[in-house]
Amino acid sequence: MICDRIREQIPECLAGRLDPAARERVIDHLDTCSACRAEMAELGAVWRGLESMPEIEPSQAMRARFLETLSAYQEGYQEAQRKLAYAVPKQSWWAGLWLRPVWQAAFSAALLIAGVLGGRYFAAPRPVETPNPEMAQLRGQIENLRQLVTLSMLQQDSPSARLRGVTYSYQVSQPDQQVEQALLHAVNHDSNINVRLSAVDALAKFGNNPEVRRALVDSLPVQDSPLVQIALIDLLVQFNDKDAAPELRKLAQDAQANEEVRQRASASLTKLEASK
Amino acid sequence: MLEVRAGNVGKLEELFDRHHRPLFRYFVHLTANRAASEDLVQEVFFRILKYRHTYQPETSFRAWMYQIGRNVHMDHAGKRKAEVAMPENAGEFSGSEISPDRQLQNKQEVALLHRALAALPREKREVLVMSRFLDLKYDEIASVLKCEVGTVKVRVYRALRELGDRFYALGGERAS
Repeated sequence: MICDRIREQIPECLAGRLDPAARERVIDHLDTCSACRAEMAELGAVWRGLESMPEIEPSQAMRARFLETLSAYQEGYQEAQRKLAYAVPKQSWWAGLWLRPVWQAAFSAALLIAGVLGGRYFAAPRPVETPNPEMAQLRGQIENLRQLVTLSMLQQDSPSARLRGVTYSYQVSQPDQQVEQALLHAVNHDSNINVRLSAVDALAKFGNNPEVRRALVDSLPVQDSPLVQIALIDLLVQFNDKDAAPELRKLAQDAQANEEVRQRASASLTKLEASK
Repeated sequence: MLEVRAGNVGKLEELFDRHHRPLFRYFVHLTANRAASEDLVQEVFFRILKYRHTYQPETSFRAWMYQIGRNVHMDHAGKRKAEVAMPENAGEFSGSEISPDRQLQNKQEVALLHRALAALPREKREVLVMSRFLDLKYDEIASVLKCEVGTVKVRVYRALRELGDRFYALGGERAS
């Protein structure tokens, strides 16, 4: 019994991590127990032998790849922050204004006047307005270019480039079906989990499209990564997609599924049912 | 890490520079594959970025990073088995004060030890690598493996014991 307790402390003793009192106890025991002494000598030789094993160094390219990914992520993150910075003050400005009774009265009056003037304006005959065709064409070209860049980056061999493609998709204000399909393809088939996770995030803006929601639900059972499954579950809850309930129920009861995934599916199911 | 969590993601570069080597060694010992280990290190740092808001300041960053590392490795191991054997050229051992005969013997013994370590079951190899090569404290290992410190103590001892048995069975010279 004493020998067992002493032997369990051998690795700490060899690593020099035992406090002086415990170390003293080990040494006292070794003085009187030849079996433990032999054990210490044998394991000590192995422990020291491990030190002689060569240290394998990673390649320089690994750091470069990391910096590339970090820079792509920073770009996307800063872009998202900028959008948030524009959105938040507007909301609080309107909300703050609306809470003051003086402004409430002023708004009501302004709306009344605008209503009267607007009614007269719209009732009056006027020439048909034509949008500036050159501007519209230019906007369309930029949009097409962004879609093209996104699609081509999503097809690159390097995971970092595909990640950039996913990040770039945020800049496409009106993504077409091709971008949507490319992102869905990445969710289901990309070999790199990071790309799959980012593609799930990027699809958040397609919540209004029932086909995308359906495809995300279908993707749940075929994913082999628990992290991607959890990201999908969270997104479906964010969409408040009631059609996801049967698949979530199946996942919550699937004994083969990862425990955290099962728990998340079960919790999300409760959330979806509560919001009915 | 607190700065990274607060949104200063550029600070992750410092954490990468400080921790990527031991993390890489951890994966090399688990996968026996250099290229796969580099990919896994990338994935760990990407997940640190993505899930930085889940980092708890009272947790050791190293322990949190290796928890993510374990998950990344499990995802990877689920997909493929180790493809490339551990390099056999384990003999970079040098010591000018040691005679050439002794150096050769040491080289051979290091190679045997390498083989014995690679042959250990994954759980034992992992706990031994954490304790011996990554210099993680027992409470950090306990946090990574989600178990008690006492359990870690027993596991490290048993892993070292089994490594010794395998090494001596392969022909390693017993300490006298």
